[in-house]
Amino acid sequence: MSDEEHHFESSESGASKTYPQQAGNIRKGGHIVIKNRPCKVVEVSTSKTGKHGHAKCHFVAIDIFTAKKLEDIVPSSHNCDVPHVNRVDYQLIDITEDGFVSLLTDSGGTKDDLKLPTDDALTTQMRSGFDEGKDVVVSVMSSMGEEQICAVKEVGGGK
Amino acid sequence: MLGFSNGSGGGGVGAEDLAQFQATMRAIELACSYIQINSNPVAAEATILSLHQSPQPYKACRYILENSQVANARFQAAAAIREAAIREWSFLATDDKGGLINFCLGYVMQHANSSEGYVLSKVSSVAAQLMKRGWLEFTPAEKEVFFYQINQAILGSRGLDVQFIGVNFLESLVSEFSPSTSSAMGLPREFHENCRKSLEQNFLKTFYQWAQDAALSVTNKIIESHSSVPEVKVCNATLRLMHQILNWEFRYSKGGTRASINVFSDGIRADNAFSRKTECVIVQPGASWCDVLLSSSHVGWLINLYSSVRQKFDLEGYWLDCPVAVSARKLIVQLCSLAGKIFPSDNGQMQEQHLLLLLSGVLPWIDPPDVISKEIEEGRSGSEMIDGCRALLSIGTVTTPVVFDKLLRSLRPFGTLTLLSMLMGEVVKVLMANSTDEETWSYEARDILLDTWTTLLASMDGSGGNARLPPEGMHAAASLFSLIVESELKVASASATTEDDADCLASVSAMDERLGSYALIARAAVDATIPFLAKLFSDHVARLHQGRGTVDPTETLEEVYSLLLIIGHVLADEGEGETALVPDALQSHFVDVVEANNHPVVVLSSSIIKFAEQCLDAEMRSSIFSPRLMEAVIWFLARWSFTYLMLVEDCNLGSNQLQSLRSRACLFTFFNEHNQGKFVLDIIVRISLTSLMSYPGEKDLQELTCFQLLHALVRRRNICFHLLSLDSWRNLANAFANDKTLFLLNSVSQRSLAQTLVLSAYGMRSSDASNQYVKDLMAHMTSSLVDLSNNSDLKNLAQQPDIIMLVSCVLERLRGAASATEPRTQRAIYEMGLSVMNPVLRLLEVYKHESAVIYLLLKFVVDWVDGQLSYLEAHETAVVINFCMSLLQIYSSHNIGKISLSLSSTLLNEAKTEKYKDLRALLQLLSHLCSKDMVDFSSDSIETQSTNISQVVYFGLHIITPLITLELLKYPKLCFDYFSLISHMLEVYPETLAQLNNDAFSHVVTTVDFGLHQQDVDIVTMCLRALKALASYHYKEKNTGNSGLGSHAAGHTDPNGVFHEGILSRFLRTLLHFLLFEDYSTDLVSTAADALFPLILCEPNLYQGLGNELIEKQANPNFKTRLANALQVLTTSNQLSSSLDRLNYPRFRKNLNNFLVEVRGFLKTR
Repeated sequence: MSDEEHHFESSESGASKTYPQQAGNIRKGGHIVIKNRPCKVVEVSTSKTGKHGHAKCHFVAIDIFTAKKLEDIVPSSHNCDVPHVNRVDYQLIDITEDGFVSLLTDSGGTKDDLKLPTDDALTTQMRSGFDEGKDVVVSVMSSMGEEQICAVKEVGGGK
Repeated sequence: MLGFSNGSGGGGVGAEDLAQFQATMRAIELACSYIQINSNPVAAEATILSLHQSPQPYKACRYILENSQVANARFQAAAAIREAAIREWSFLATDDKGGLINFCLGYVMQHANSSEGYVLSKVSSVAAQLMKRGWLEFTPAEKEVFFYQINQAILGSRGLDVQFIGVNFLESLVSEFSPSTSSAMGLPREFHENCRKSLEQNFLKTFYQWAQDAALSVTNKIIESHSSVPEVKVCNATLRLMHQILNWEFRYSKGGTRASINVFSDGIRADNAFSRKTECVIVQPGASWCDVLLSSSHVGWLINLYSSVRQKFDLEGYWLDCPVAVSARKLIVQLCSLAGKIFPSDNGQMQEQHLLLLLSGVLPWIDPPDVISKEIEEGRSGSEMIDGCRALLSIGTVTTPVVFDKLLRSLRPFGTLTLLSMLMGEVVKVLMANSTDEETWSYEARDILLDTWTTLLASMDGSGGNARLPPEGMHAAASLFSLIVESELKVASASATTEDDADCLASVSAMDERLGSYALIARAAVDATIPFLAKLFSDHVARLHQGRGTVDPTETLEEVYSLLLIIGHVLADEGEGETALVPDALQSHFVDVVEANNHPVVVLSSSIIKFAEQCLDAEMRSSIFSPRLMEAVIWFLARWSFTYLMLVEDCNLGSNQLQSLRSRACLFTFFNEHNQGKFVLDIIVRISLTSLMSYPGEKDLQELTCFQLLHALVRRRNICFHLLSLDSWRNLANAFANDKTLFLLNSVSQRSLAQTLVLSAYGMRSSDASNQYVKDLMAHMTSSLVDLSNNSDLKNLAQQPDIIMLVSCVLERLRGAASATEPRTQRAIYEMGLSVMNPVLRLLEVYKHESAVIYLLLKFVVDWVDGQLSYLEAHETAVVINFCMSLLQIYSSHNIGKISLSLSSTLLNEAKTEKYKDLRALLQLLSHLCSKDMVDFSSDSIETQSTNISQVVYFGLHIITPLITLELLKYPKLCFDYFSLISHMLEVYPETLAQLNNDAFSHVVTTVDFGLHQQDVDIVTMCLRALKALASYHYKEKNTGNSGLGSHAAGHTDPNGVFHEGILSRFLRTLLHFLLFEDYSTDLVSTAADALFPLILCEPNLYQGLGNELIEKQANPNFKTRLANALQVLTTSNQLSSSLDRLNYPRFRKNLNNFLVEVRGFLKTR
């Protein structure tokens, strides 16, 4: 059909933290930057500026790190910033006394700068899973320079 | 004896009992007062409930009713009598049954002058319910005795209060016997049906006569006296009773012997295709009612009563709204809708007389319209006028437009249609004058009058174009229509500057109904209205052009917007998936037109298309074509083209007698493929492309364009041929494949556009060419997915927002294409799916944390499999199934045991919902796989079918069931999907279930158990069907010497030596407990019987044991024998044998129904 191709180029190292995207295209469940915070959109509604004006989008979103609720209104043909949200799985190798975890990276090194999640029940579960010798995989979400554990999964092992 | 059969007085009450009754009374009184002040309501309710549930509480209740000073306690006592008697009815002595009813009736009559009306109506309704419960057992003589009392009361010999009570009792009784208002009694439907039949045939008319007599007895007093008298209360009650009786859904007196009703031959026109806002029930009591309603001058009496009292209270504005006036008007309106066999077959003369009489009575309420509307605006109540409109609606419902119009001519110099038009004109004027959003009388009146027009005109529309209004009526319709348009445009321009928050599609469809009715009025007078609309439209367009650049066009834009919607409705009907015909009125009128260019419909259509075409010009677009106006343009083009564009002769022809009309031929050929059709089609496609490309972010507009316009075009095969030859369509396809702008459409439009383009491939001359077209169209999308998945840095790359968006977009398009699978393009779409199988699995891996993408991936596969599976050959099926299994496994490995963390509860809930949607998609996938066994177009014979679908699906279930937690089953849709799959699997492949391993098997069984305890009747039914399948499979296999469910059914002993009983035993227990002790809908009994029967046959010993256990538990020896007998009868009566055949199931159903009626009453008693 045409010669124009979409190229998938890996962005250079130090990739930009956000990408522009048309507001009309950001959907519920997608990500968006509001007030310089990376958020997940939980509600989108559209309306018009006056009956014969242009459409605008009203976003309700939740900060993926702090869980704060944020809102924004953008004309739907304008661009919004969408954060680059990265999630990486690590194997849990240790939980320290002071509430930090030690994770095994792909390259064989360790990553020791993350705290346990604040939820007690989950922390207990992680600890007990870990103590029983099960393989625990931890997903770490990072975006715009912040990091947090976002999911835990036991993948068998143990006795 | 329970102390009820021996007349009045508490003769048999001993001192000991007395003390206990007093204690009970005090407890109940206390509980009632606690509830009232809301202190510890739970305990208080428990006290009251214990009275309701105690065995034979009648004496205590009677004591409370007769002695308590607390009205609420008496109320509760009456309720307790009802509860207990209904429950224990089957073992009450005959005397006691009658005694209870007599007591209740006697009580209300004795206390007729009590001020606590609600206690009386409760007791009276208890009497009515008990009477119904015993209705089929009582002999005619017994009923006679009850009704003698009632009749005496109603005749007024015992005073006004008792008279009122009597009427009131009949009201309760009639409502109890009417299926829609009856109370549940735990009995099969058949019982209610028999009661209803008996009452309708033998009593209803008598009741009506009693009510008439009672009303007559008080009327004179009311008319003579000059202030309100107590008689009014009785009069009101009788009017209400008459209204209620006429509201009865008459079935058995229509002359036919059939009990079932055929909606198509029900005497009256059944053509009201238009949904109406106002309810109008046609009253058809049958020929036998003629004497009561027609020949007894009943109507004259009623109208007289109303008008003379109305005259008397003329100055008192409040009177119009007082209950007796309201009831009288209601009855008058109801009599207007009298129809059917009650009128002799005399060419409708008697009906006309009847209606004329009513109309003359109603006329003062509505005529002259301007005076009345002015009075109402000045503060008079509008209720009488609105009832007048209702009367017109009722008359319109039972007559034809011609008869309707003629009625008034004997009273006025003009016809009824003219009055209707004037009346509605006034209402519209009032609406225009005060355009507040407040709901006023004028809104209600407008809706009713509009319904009247719709009712009258809808009968003409579609009748072949021969039916026309009389000339005066047409004139009335035309002038009303122009008034309506004027008011709509005024509303439009007034609202032009307000914020529009409502979503466009919703507001369009909300207006739709009203505009549909307006269109009918316009079509009743097309000679005037079509040229009128054309003139109005060109005036407005001219105004837009004149003011361009200098004046703010917003108000005019909004007017054009409304005008487009109105014209669209007048010119064409909503297709709703069917081909919409050119409206008859437009085909049959304009007979003197010989040239298409002069045909008013052509003129109007062309001027709109010409206007729409201007949006292609960028400058015009920015100054005139606002997104909202474009929405109307697209909507209009979609609706219009569906009816007028490229009609295939013979398929869109209306009725035959029209075919010869020259004017009609002009209209039909003008927009066909040999004439202007192709040219217009090209314009439409270009406008569509413009609306997709040049209105970035206008979601509503894009959805309209994709769903309504383009999709509707390709649904018509002959249009596809022309589309593919158009350059504009090629441009659209090219833009779709290559232009970045179209990647910015929102996801549903994306999907729909892909579907549309793939469907248009039908227009290629051969199947090969069609496949090639699809391939070319989609090659770009598939290769981009393949490239991406092969990228070495996929893991990092995939997380970039722009890549996520691109992938989502491509997946939406693939999904759209997959859902467009048709035999002609199936190959190309199969190959499309085949080429992305590996990328899909790769992406499933890398996007495991990006739930939105996962969902798209799953949905694509679901739709693709659904479209393809039935066409595939054995080896292809195997490939697809392997792919699906890998997909399930990968999905499951990512999600089992995964716990999402988030500080935000909203996000956690979102995550749960996402999971639910995923699982629902996976269940759909499995259901689609199941269908391969049912529908298979492949060339393979059955023997070569290499894949055993049932095993595959069970394997799939095995993978995903661990993900389906009981928590997730609380989502109703997921629950429904899951259980319909399970019950399907168990019914069709019980043998495969038997082969499942223990864990998988017990998971399935646990969920069935869970499903049995759901509230939703559908879910329980599906579980019961599953149980039936399991048990009957096992029983049949056993009988042929096989092992059936084997160890699952036999039970096992675990390592700790504890015996776990088999699943059939467990379910037998559960089901019996369910049937005997839990609350459920009676609809379930038959399905439950079908499951219980094979279970009993499978586990006869356990059943014996359970039966004995039940009998042992009964303390009362009387109940013991009854229960033993009932259990015996359950499995033996009706020649029930122990084979699972067609005859035995219905026998057992009957037995179980009887059994439950017999024993549930005392088993449920505490």
